[in-house]
Amino acid sequence: MCGCLAGWGVHVHDERFDVVVIGGGHNGSTIAAYLAKSGLSTCVLEARPECGGGQENTEVRPGFRIDPHATYLYGGAAPGFDQLELWKYGMRMVYYPSMAGLVTLDGQAANMGSRWRPDLAEESLARYSPADQGGTGRIFDELGEEGSRDLLRALFWTPPLPPKMEMDPADMPWWKVFRERLPQFWFDQLLDMNYLDFLDEFVHWEPLKVLSAIGAWYCGAHPAWDGMMLQALGGTLLFNYASGAPRGGMHTYAHAIVRCALAHGARIITNAPVGEIVIRDGRAVGVRLSDDAAFGEKTIWADKAVISAIDVQHTFLDVIGQRHLDPSFRQRISDISLKGGSLFVMSVICRELPRYHGRADAFPDEVYPSCVVAPADSLEWVRIQTRDSYSTRTGPATLEPEHLTMMICTHDVYDSTRSVDGFHVLSPIYLEMPPPEYDVHGPDGVNRQKEEITRAALGLLERLAPNMTGENIVDVFVNTPQDSEFRNTGLVGGNWYGIRQSEDQWFGNRPLPELGRYRTPIDGLYLCNQTSHPGGLCLMAVPYNLMHVLIEDGIADPGSWWYPSSFYVPDPSAQRGAAS
Amino acid sequence: MTRTEHRILRPAEHILDEFPERTEFDVVVIGGGPNGLIAAAYLARAGLRVALVERRQEIGGGLSTEETLFPGYYTNPHAFYHMMTDYLPVLSDFDLRAHGLYFVKPNAQAAALFSDASSLMLCHQIEDTKDSLAKASPSDAAAFGRVMRTWRRIVEDLLAPGTYLPALSPIDMIESLERTDVGREALRLTEMSPVEIIDETFEDDRVRALMLYVACMWGLDPRESGLGFMVPLMIDRAMNKAQCYGGSHKLAGSLSREIHKAGGVVLDNAEVTRIVVAQGAVTGVECFDGRFLGAKAVLSSLAPPLTFGKLIDRSEVPEEMSEAAEHWEWDKWSLCTLALATTADPRFEVDDPWVNDALMVVLGFDSTEDVLGHYDAVATGELGDRLGGHATVETRYDPTLARISGHHVSFLQIHAPYDVEGGWETRGAEISDELLELWRRHQPGLGDSEIVLRSLETPVDIETRIASMVRGSIKHGDYNPLQMGAFRPSASCVAGRSPIAGLYLCGASSYPGGLVIGGPGYIAAGSVVEDMGVAPWWQAPSFVRRYQEQYLS
Ligand SMILES: Cc1cc2nc3c(=O)[nH]c(=O)nc-3n(C[C@H](O)[C@H](O)[C@H](O)COP(=O)(O)OP(=O)(O)OC[C@H]3O[C@@H](n4cnc5c(N)ncnc54)[C@H](O)[C@@H]3O)c2cc1C
Ligand SMILES: Cc1cc2nc3c(=O)[nH]c(=O)nc-3n(C[C@H](O)[C@H](O)[C@H](O)COP(=O)(O)OP(=O)(O)OC[C@H]3O[C@@H](n4cnc5c(N)ncnc54)[C@H](O)[C@@H]3O)c2cc1C
Repeated sequence: MCGCLAGWGVHVHDERFDVVVIGGGHNGSTIAAYLAKSGLSTCVLEARPECGGGQENTEVRPGFRIDPHATYLYGGAAPGFDQLELWKYGMRMVYYPSMAGLVTLDGQAANMGSRWRPDLAEESLARYSPADQGGTGRIFDELGEEGSRDLLRALFWTPPLPPKMEMDPADMPWWKVFRERLPQFWFDQLLDMNYLDFLDEFVHWEPLKVLSAIGAWYCGAHPAWDGMMLQALGGTLLFNYASGAPRGGMHTYAHAIVRCALAHGARIITNAPVGEIVIRDGRAVGVRLSDDAAFGEKTIWADKAVISAIDVQHTFLDVIGQRHLDPSFRQRISDISLKGGSLFVMSVICRELPRYHGRADAFPDEVYPSCVVAPADSLEWVRIQTRDSYSTRTGPATLEPEHLTMMICTHDVYDSTRSVDGFHVLSPIYLEMPPPEYDVHGPDGVNRQKEEITRAALGLLERLAPNMTGENIVDVFVNTPQDSEFRNTGLVGGNWYGIRQSEDQWFGNRPLPELGRYRTPIDGLYLCNQTSHPGGLCLMAVPYNLMHVLIEDGIADPGSWWYPSSFYVPDPSAQRGAAS
Repeated sequence: MTRTEHRILRPAEHILDEFPERTEFDVVVIGGGPNGLIAAAYLARAGLRVALVERRQEIGGGLSTEETLFPGYYTNPHAFYHMMTDYLPVLSDFDLRAHGLYFVKPNAQAAALFSDASSLMLCHQIEDTKDSLAKASPSDAAAFGRVMRTWRRIVEDLLAPGTYLPALSPIDMIESLERTDVGREALRLTEMSPVEIIDETFEDDRVRALMLYVACMWGLDPRESGLGFMVPLMIDRAMNKAQCYGGSHKLAGSLSREIHKAGGVVLDNAEVTRIVVAQGAVTGVECFDGRFLGAKAVLSSLAPPLTFGKLIDRSEVPEEMSEAAEHWEWDKWSLCTLALATTADPRFEVDDPWVNDALMVVLGFDSTEDVLGHYDAVATGELGDRLGGHATVETRYDPTLARISGHHVSFLQIHAPYDVEGGWETRGAEISDELLELWRRHQPGLGDSEIVLRSLETPVDIETRIASMVRGSIKHGDYNPLQMGAFRPSASCVAGRSPIAGLYLCGASSYPGGLVIGGPGYIAAGSVVEDMGVAPWWQAPSFVRRYQEQYLS
């Protein structure tokens, strides 16, 4: 036996890169692509077998692919698409004639169409609520293509202000755009409103308020959070702007990002959990992999920066030795709120699409809404579910309809790659639940009720769509917020944004004011996770914003393909490098 | 059926740039299994503009690692045992360790566990194997030691190098093998069936049962002569299996990184629906969503009935290839796999505790008759009254597959017909129960409460996931003398070249065949650079060069 290749490959010691990125989720892969394209030698270390983090699709049953977490592409307005030229790496979209519909228990079913098919919403409103015609929809019309992009970029693709800089709230980039573009809608009180107030002001039809409120909760900010009116509306705007999903699902989008990074020379190593950030003299100089990592040499050095693309709590409480942090800072990190946005995700494989209230013509196949919010009867129910989820409930989850508003997604109507002919996959079906960390019944409170909740939700679905019987349903897969946390350690709280997206934890306050510009108390260590501004969703926004700071600090010097946010305010005290 | 394909909606507003409708490449590879990936990686690094087009969302084909036990447990539902890590040229030509690719190759390799809890084991080390065989028969142990001295040379000197060179015609093959003793022994074995070889070599029936199982588990017909030279290969490789740390997909991922690094493109979720041929030469491929990728060369990893029978306009298919497509025989049998996620460590009751470290444990067979009965039944479309197969605890050497530490993922795999009587849809649940029963016969303590999740991957499921594996054909086509060597897939295809100009075949249906051996992709890549006049940047590995000097010069 010669074992000719027994020694194949080189066992490398002392690997060095300019930048080491911890975590290859959406934000980690994206910053790696940005930095590699800027010419830096970059290494991504990802704990799981695949990169993508929350951007994941799983073929749980042969031929059927579910979305355990992220499902829609909200990031259409991201500069990253052209800066990183994701089209070169296979990026493709599927656009939907109808993004959303709503169904109530009392027999109503309205198709709200998409930006490509405004006629569908007009028709529904003419039927159910003529007074709402031209309501909030008008905001989008008035903004137009360019205005929408501007407003979105102000909200999401702008780094927070330099520390200690004061700004009048009405001058915040997003309000500035709003005031300029929509003077007829502007009044001072908007600044202090929450989205529910706003809906009360502008929307008449209760089910439409529910749809808007749920929409905001799932991709913007909770409608009851004060001072977050425009952020909540922004979620809807994001949803409406791109109006579709990547071909094949969100993971394909992750592939494009990862491949861009690789094409520019980044190294991406999977099954490589980081156990510790190596800190010398207060400076992050590398990382140590966990012992079970699939890599020979366990210490990897970073000459210019370590970027933590895992959540802020894991970063400071798990992978940094506690001797490097003072107790007050540690406490503030543990106190960051994870509440809200924790999702119980069901995926149902069935033979027929749900036919709400037994009417096939409610949602004809050619314009079947890619997601349906149901039951959308009463805003009061949204309030009840908020109380359930934020753990002010007193008993175990009650499973009456007013506790179970669902968002039911069906992408395969428009994308044949996701299922097998003759079947459909309803995935995801989202329900709001308490985050494990705050569940008064313990972190596994929801897990203990997993079957019961699934049964109740399916029962309710059958009540709304009588064809969703046991015979029609072939298979059901569920992941709870707690399941999401252990499957994918980045998803703290099992929620879609990591940490609460409220005013206290937004923009320069996210995750804490002293961490608001992605810098940390440890030199050379930067944050690039959804737990920094602008939070959850796969928007390529955290990395885009962080790039401004890395340029300020002289770490990155991208080529002519780079352009900063038009709302970017350079930091006068940190002009160490080639800030633009 | 209600599907509105996206072509219907082309929004007027520009949201983001997408992969263009028409693109031009030097080379398009159809299918991102191990062979397509290998071919694409070599060609991209040769400076050619390469696009690899894959139907699924994940590249890898048989190299898949997926969360089939959802949520939280990964399995390798297809290729698990990597039998050619000692030879695969990609492993030395590329620095795949840089991507974190590691194989674990334990000494405890393949055991047979009998109903009385006695066992036999093939270890990587021959003396360790002899120790185990001696429990049943000291003379078989001695015979094993003796025969392996020749068999390992058959593998090392002839078959391993032959895997990475174009097939020889039968006449050239005989001529070259006649040159040495080792070659002449290989020729002698060729004329024998696996049963004859094993009966000739070993006396004890349990030793024979284990040897016969590992010799035939990848598709050799136990009673057919003509491919007997593969028995030494199968037995030797059964002692050299490795597990890919982090899952088999890691090998696919590492290869794809090499493609990207070299500027190649991978397009997934992109089933090829047509290979465009004009005037006898290939011009590109068309995908299901209408996208066209132009190419000077197209490499297809799909078997003739798909490549020539489905993807190319009939009028453009040469006579000999439509015949090859029509007469192609898919695998005689497929595999059916029960996957388990457990809180407990799966350990069998067995006379030799070391068996529990074996990468593979054969369960359910006490004699050669049992093994033969099993293969016969499966070949005729049944499961037989006696279920048996091979079990593996996947987390034994790769804890990363279970997201909760201390939990385990295992599988029990049996050979199974595609057309099982009654259909898999109906019989699946019952067969899953029977397999669990078989497992529990050897681990009575495994209670229901310790089983977190289980799933069954049937031959139909294999085909659904991986469309190239028609009828669950794990090798894209039967191993029989008419579909092996220079006849795989057809005598009209030499070194991966098809009779259509610019069209190459690079999958398991081409010489040398299936499993993760990398031969078809490597050989086709060599032909492409040669035909395009591009200098290959790689060199045949030393074991191949030695063979060329001794047997081909
Ligand atoms: C149920 C649900 C629904 C959602 N819906 C949508 C949607 O429709 N659209 C949308 O755009 N977004 C959606 N999101 C949000 C989106 O998934 C997240 O905002 C996004 O994935 C965050 O990206 P990230 O890179 O910040 O973190 P993550 O995606 O969590 O990535 C972090 C990565 O770090 C890895 N990691 C963790 N610890 C370590 C370690 N020690 N060493 C190395 N690696 C480590 C993790 O494995 C993970 O891959 C949803 C999220 C959830 C949970
Ligand atoms: C259950 C099972 C267990 C196995 N165990 C082992 C093992 O332990 N060890 C081992 O070595 N081998 C094993 N194998 C066999 C091994 O996986 C295959 O022989 C090997 O993967 C063949 O490689 P390939 O690249 O030729 O083709 P494939 O792996 O079949 O790849 C072909 C690719 O083409 C894609 N494709 C199909 N149609 C199209 C189209 N129209 N357009 C674009 N793409 C398309 C497929 O999706 C697939 O990705 C096993 C197989 C199975 C099913």
